[in-house]
Amino acid sequence: MRNFDLLEPKTVAEACRMLGAGGDDDVRPVSGGTALLILVKQGLLRPRALVNLKKLEGASAITRDDAGAVRIEAMATIHEVETSPVVREHLPVLAAACHQVANIRIRHLATIGGNLAHGDHQSDPPGVLVALDAEVELSGAGGTRTLKLADFLLGTYETALEPGEMVTAVTVPPVQGRLVGDYLKFTTGSSEERPCAGITALVRLEGDRPVEARLAVGAVAARPLLLCEAGPTEAALESMADRAADDIDPIPDLRGSADYKRHLVRVLGRRALTAAWKEACP
Amino acid sequence: MSAVGSDTPRVDGNAKVSGAAQYTADIDLPGMLHAKALRSPHPHAKLVSIDVSKAAALPGVIAVVTRDDLNGLNPYYGAVVEDQPVLAMDRVRCVGDIVAAVAAEEREIAEEAVELIEVEYKPLPAVFDVVEAAQTGAPIIHEKRFETQAAIFREQLNLNAGGNVCSVFRAGDGDVDAGFAEADEVFENTYRMPPVQHGHIEPHVAAAVWESPNRLVVHTPCQNAVGLQEQLARIFNLPESGVRVVVPHVGGGYGGKTHARLEPVTALLARKAGRPVQWVLTREEVFLTGRRYGAFVRMKTGFKRDGSLVAREVEVFYDLGAYALSGPANAKTGSYVASGPYRVPNRRLTTYAVYTNLPPAGPYRGVGVPHVAWAYESEMDRIARHLGMDPVELRLKNLLQEGDVFVTGESLVSVGISDCLRQVASGIGWRGREEQGNGASEGSLRRGKGVAVIMKSTTTPTASAASVRLNGDGSVMLLTSSTEMGQGVRTCLAQIVAERLGFPVERVTVSAPDTDVTPYDKSTSSSRTTFHMGNAALRAAEEVREQLLEAGAQALEVDKADMELGAGGVRVKGVPDRSLTIPQLLRVKYGDSVGSIFGSCNFQVKGGLDPRTGKGKAAAFWFFSACGAEVEVDVETGKVRVVNVATSVDVGKAINPLQCGLQNEGSMLEALGAAFFEEMVFEQGQPVNGTLLEYMLPSMEDHPERFQSLLVETPHPDGPFGAKGVGEAVIPAVVPAIGNAVANALGGINITELPLRPERVVAALAEREAGVTGEQQP
Amino acid sequence: MRHLITANVNGRERELSVKSNQTLLEVLRDDLRLKGTREGCSVGVCGSCTVLVDGKPVSSCLMLASNAEGREVLTIEGLGAGNLDPVQQAFLDHQAFQCGFCTPGMIMAVKGLLNENPKPDEAEVRDYLSGNICRCGTYVEVMAAVEDLTRRNDNG
Repeated sequence: MRNFDLLEPKTVAEACRMLGAGGDDDVRPVSGGTALLILVKQGLLRPRALVNLKKLEGASAITRDDAGAVRIEAMATIHEVETSPVVREHLPVLAAACHQVANIRIRHLATIGGNLAHGDHQSDPPGVLVALDAEVELSGAGGTRTLKLADFLLGTYETALEPGEMVTAVTVPPVQGRLVGDYLKFTTGSSEERPCAGITALVRLEGDRPVEARLAVGAVAARPLLLCEAGPTEAALESMADRAADDIDPIPDLRGSADYKRHLVRVLGRRALTAAWKEACP
Repeated sequence: MSAVGSDTPRVDGNAKVSGAAQYTADIDLPGMLHAKALRSPHPHAKLVSIDVSKAAALPGVIAVVTRDDLNGLNPYYGAVVEDQPVLAMDRVRCVGDIVAAVAAEEREIAEEAVELIEVEYKPLPAVFDVVEAAQTGAPIIHEKRFETQAAIFREQLNLNAGGNVCSVFRAGDGDVDAGFAEADEVFENTYRMPPVQHGHIEPHVAAAVWESPNRLVVHTPCQNAVGLQEQLARIFNLPESGVRVVVPHVGGGYGGKTHARLEPVTALLARKAGRPVQWVLTREEVFLTGRRYGAFVRMKTGFKRDGSLVAREVEVFYDLGAYALSGPANAKTGSYVASGPYRVPNRRLTTYAVYTNLPPAGPYRGVGVPHVAWAYESEMDRIARHLGMDPVELRLKNLLQEGDVFVTGESLVSVGISDCLRQVASGIGWRGREEQGNGASEGSLRRGKGVAVIMKSTTTPTASAASVRLNGDGSVMLLTSSTEMGQGVRTCLAQIVAERLGFPVERVTVSAPDTDVTPYDKSTSSSRTTFHMGNAALRAAEEVREQLLEAGAQALEVDKADMELGAGGVRVKGVPDRSLTIPQLLRVKYGDSVGSIFGSCNFQVKGGLDPRTGKGKAAAFWFFSACGAEVEVDVETGKVRVVNVATSVDVGKAINPLQCGLQNEGSMLEALGAAFFEEMVFEQGQPVNGTLLEYMLPSMEDHPERFQSLLVETPHPDGPFGAKGVGEAVIPAVVPAIGNAVANALGGINITELPLRPERVVAALAEREAGVTGEQQP
Repeated sequence: MRHLITANVNGRERELSVKSNQTLLEVLRDDLRLKGTREGCSVGVCGSCTVLVDGKPVSSCLMLASNAEGREVLTIEGLGAGNLDPVQQAFLDHQAFQCGFCTPGMIMAVKGLLNENPKPDEAEVRDYLSGNICRCGTYVEVMAAVEDLTRRNDNG
């Protein structure tokens, strides 16, 4: 692998200073390294220095506040998210999606912050987190700001991160009532492939009453697509999947043409919503 | 028999589970440098100039080599035709062609130096499609016709076709036109199979050191140590004994390590540097270094209403890529079996090995056979469906039988194929004709079953030599150039030697190939080792045995015929207390209990085909195998789940049934990848999915829910204990069996292009909905 | 740029001077000469370079060596202390390998699996090990080896 300097800050402020000191691609943050190091090895990125975020202190906690918001510090590994008792109890769909990421070795290295900051559309967590209305906390020299994840993800490898900024946490706001549903990962080849489509279907219940349906489509287009329907009915779910298929702008690749991916969104969207509905109204 | 036929544990087991087994990348020679190559970014270009001055000046760079360093050497090499330069000469012919190489103190320095090399290219028109490349007027990839060094290829291949067609092979019999005229129905379809990766997890790697100007030592995971030795000797103008090829443990080969790949450049760098050089390819480079041939198959079949085949015409175009390697020989291997393991009285079978501007291919498990099997076994199911016959019955009706005269003119022996088919049919619970009807369905899921049968030759004529050395303590060393690459050859050969000597297997050690020590072997390929090297080892052990019995008979003053081996020495039959130990026998033979007793054998199979007629003896033995598969297709998404796979091979005699099973499981899994997702994609000659992130190999979760490896044993009269090869036997049958299962699940749609990606399945269903059949009717 | 780190490698505290761009795999193979951990794909897909860090399997080809600071690293050479580890013995008993190149990584992945889940069912075994690729295709035997180990855990 090409040479670079590894800068090792202990605090977020120090990390931001180091990041702010370089040009765009000259100094890059690295956390798990499972995506970035591949780009360096392949010569697609040639950073002068990498800022190692793995040694930041206390940057991987997963907590839930009294209001019910779940906060995941950015350096929590995908595996820590997947196995966190808090996530398993309160956001099982996120645990399920994280379990689908790559393989166990990568999940032990890769971090949730790194995953979101990388901006790779072919990944499991972004779509689910958009469905959960998650927010990302960004820290930079000027302090911290919070963005809706949906506004943070701008396109393939494109995010709202400014130079000198890093993701420090992702938070899922409190859920009114409870969410049921699941994440459905579809691969066209080996079980180990990245998702060709990642569908999250959730129904929000207040008491026993379904008050909202959400359908998030990840990995198909440059950004996750989220559709929400208030006061859903069984019949409305089908049109929701159709709408997602019509609205989405799929990126064609070896896994499938745009038409095929659109077709998948329709089929899998219906399936996932139907399953969520069955769970909501047994 | 005790050793042979038992599930003897692998002799290399401890070294492999402990991590102690040394592979080539683990070798660390004193003063060793690291290599890196500059590769062509163009699929076809004139090489105008190369300037390495900046690279050579970089601190830590010890040697840079280009075409200029080939002066005085023989720059071109190749297994069949010498068409591949050690480094690009006047032009590059594919993306990844090696233009220059650097040896440096550290890997990073070598990487950096390569980027400092300045090359001027003048792009040339290129051709990537194999059928287009074979046409007159296509850009010519090799302007001169190359000579072949090997007399056997000169005599057995047609290498004068012209254009980009490197070789043509024709086989046939009867009167094909009359056959089609006589047929009740004629089907004609085309099939495509894309290039795929071997996928050995150990990349190509070599380490080279010149011990003196006339002495080259190369460590490499090569399946063909002797062949590589010959090629290196020729490139560097050395006698064969001036080149020593040593083969450490090998991390998988599957055919991909049969030929010289990076060894010539590594040796050239070591020569210029005057120091040892190691070169480990990156996975991206592996993708540019070897692959299976892509192929286009045109198949026309005439048959009677009762299901009997009367005529078949097949044309196959194998895409060699930029260099031939053993392509012409592998295309020949596809030709005479292109009509399948069936009795077909009239046939015309032609295969073309064609250059394209894609990275070079080479032999991969099954060589030219999977391509034709995909076509002919898909056709058999279409015919069965058309005639309303049970596909198993249709096959049984037409299958070759023991003693049949094949298209090559030879009589077939050890033909257990009907039994193989019956075994797999039963293994997947085949119920007969109804399997082509509507399978079980639940929601969007459709079940389907399919079968396929194949035959394949082993490369012929060839030779293998072995030497058995009995030590004074009664332990035995088998010296052989056969490469252990995971297939269990060391264990299998140890079992054969132990069996013949009546010794426990633990007393037999099998060498790794080292051309200073181990005798000639054609190569560890074509699943030929159990048969050929097994025979050589058996006979070499036999020689040792005879000497022991003779010495014993002499010492004990009995007739040799009354002696037998046993209890770690020899004894008089039926008189256990009249025995001699090995040290005692050595004393009888040499007057002292020190020394070795040697036995040796050069086992040779004659044969081969006349390229003008396609007649002769194609195979020392034939493989016959069958596969049955059950799948579940999601007709909405096109995704297929493999429920059950059963394979069956006629192995003649299973020397080690467990290891036979592992070979079949590996073949099945590689084929499963090729059936559903493995495909090397190129755009204008550039690799699109040239990493293991984008090109994935089957995982444990992709493994079928159920897998059975079944064996048929029809002893081969010439095989050691009746054994034949097994390594490649199953692989060509798996893809068409899966294809037929998918076709049946879809209610009768045979998709003709691999892999069966979900989108292809959905598209095929949509075409039928729209009334486009996709199938040519008679 | 170099970093001085302390890591426990196979039970021994090591002070290591590692380069910024060195991966854990490179330190293990090049500096510590622990060659049983192997590189197959360099992108975290094949699993040949699997080692345990604090008992958890990672792709050592994608882990910066500096991040081994203060960690316990276990490689194939650290198993068994002279004898074979039960996982290695189970691989031998079931002949769960062919070419052997992926085997150390596969064995370390099984160690990681049993650390996390001493009694996995078949689906859990497939799910956990599906990221370790054996191109020779010896999956059935690996599953049998794990099942055997799991049974022993049951009995124990």
